[in-house]
Amino acid sequence: MNKVLIKSLVIFTVAGLLSLIVYILISQIPQPPSKDVKKARIALSKAFKSKAHTYSKELYRDAKVNYDSAMANWGKQNKRFIYFRKYDKVAKFAIASLKSSQKAIETSKSNSNSYQTKLKDKVASLEKLIGDINAYFDRYPLPRELRTSISKGKMLYEEGLIEYKNGQLITANTKLNQADDLLSSVYDKAYSDLEQYLRSFPIWKKWTEIAIKESKENQSYSIVVDKLSRKCFVYFNGSKKYEFDVELGRNWVGDKLRMGDKATPEGKYKIISKFSGTKYNNALLLDYPNEEDRKRFNKEKSRGTIPSYAKIGGGIEIHGSGGKGVDWTEGCIALEDSEMDLIFRLATIGTPVTIVGSTKNLNQIFSR
Amino acid sequence: MKNKVLMGFAAIVMVAFLSSCGKVPQVQIDAVNAAIDSAAKVEAATYLPTEFAAVQDSMKAIMADVEVQKSKLFKKFGPAKMKLEALLVQTQGVAKNAVVKKEEVKKEVETTMTDIKTIVEENGKLFKKAPRGKEGAAVLEQIKTEIANIDAAVVEAQGSYDKGTYMDALNKIKAAKERATGINTELKDAIAKVRR
Repeated sequence: MNKVLIKSLVIFTVAGLLSLIVYILISQIPQPPSKDVKKARIALSKAFKSKAHTYSKELYRDAKVNYDSAMANWGKQNKRFIYFRKYDKVAKFAIASLKSSQKAIETSKSNSNSYQTKLKDKVASLEKLIGDINAYFDRYPLPRELRTSISKGKMLYEEGLIEYKNGQLITANTKLNQADDLLSSVYDKAYSDLEQYLRSFPIWKKWTEIAIKESKENQSYSIVVDKLSRKCFVYFNGSKKYEFDVELGRNWVGDKLRMGDKATPEGKYKIISKFSGTKYNNALLLDYPNEEDRKRFNKEKSRGTIPSYAKIGGGIEIHGSGGKGVDWTEGCIALEDSEMDLIFRLATIGTPVTIVGSTKNLNQIFSR
Repeated sequence: MKNKVLMGFAAIVMVAFLSSCGKVPQVQIDAVNAAIDSAAKVEAATYLPTEFAAVQDSMKAIMADVEVQKSKLFKKFGPAKMKLEALLVQTQGVAKNAVVKKEEVKKEVETTMTDIKTIVEENGKLFKKAPRGKEGAAVLEQIKTEIANIDAAVVEAQGSYDKGTYMDALNKIKAAKERATGINTELKDAIAKVRR
């Protein structure tokens, strides 16, 4: 009985000791930072989903490099004898990756939001810019290269808009910036040109005021043509009675200097003849060139700004066949036939016609 | 005697089982990596970015599991192996779908190209039909610049298409089509006005 007891005791003791040894051996095995690596991987995945690879490139790259380093180091350590493994570097890389990913997510969200806001504003401002160009300069005689820039700018705007709608904010930003550069440059040049042209506004204003005043004093009709707004105003007894759209000569900006320059003259004229059934239906012939025009023509000729063989031209009319939506005449003023018929009935020989660059100043023009 | 033979056999089976569980599934790892490379080559990152990222993420998770097992005294790669086998199928599917998606985008570019060619052709015909008198010239001159720019954009889009960058080609051609359609309307309107 004692022998059995002793034998059992020995067996239990040995088993206990063996278990203790096994436990000590197992507990001494270095534990890898699995949780840290898992957290780092999840954060990296979240960073990708938040498009950090696009909006926070540097931080995302850091996070990725650190994660890859953690994994590489883990693999390297796992090749060593089990008790010689050291996972501190793995943990260090994993934590660094986690931190970079977290920062990348934040930066990416903030950058992405700021891009969204920026692009939303940019799209709105470009839409306005295109609207302004269309409104103010659609029929302004711009050089061919500027028209090409407008066309290219509009195309880039369309491309940018498509990228923006697809969520490709960086590409959209590039395209919209290119569109902005082109269109802003055109706008600035055209604006500066128009500003230069409107330096004569005080004289035009005076002419218009005189025309209205004379209409009141004489209780008669007076016609005022505003070239910039393409409007023809008919006054009677000092009050505006009618307002019509007009079309002008292709190079309507500036005064007419000579025959063939396709410009519509500016000045105070009178109707000297009325014709029916012309090529352009009813027509009112103006007394261009008047004394002022002749003086200026001779002055410019003597200064050499126009060739010596140039002629002053004539035959400037207010006529029908208008309503084409473009400036197409050789310098005449074209109205839609029905409106021309009305003016034709109202006007008499001697009715004053004042042609000005604009009846509005720069601020009034650009108050769209 | 019979019992000893059975026990020996059981021991062999046990050893075989344990050794198979303790072996890194390198074949499966290599296969998934090769499938990911193939998916990358067919531009899965461009045409199916979310799905491709999910595959890459799953691979990272499995590789972490593999390292966890490698760190243990008693390794067990069975679950990782099963996950790898499933991921291989998933990755191959992503690669296949990326090819399909790319083909769809390519087709969309081709369709839009055909559409725009029709519009450009029509624009050309309208342009020729338009009156050449002084009234028409002013309108047409403005539109001519636009047409030239649309042509240039189509050439650019064709260049992207030839290079195989279909997404880029699609965006370019869509923008050009938008402009060409606008010009078509403008041209028709303008000509109608000139003819009045």
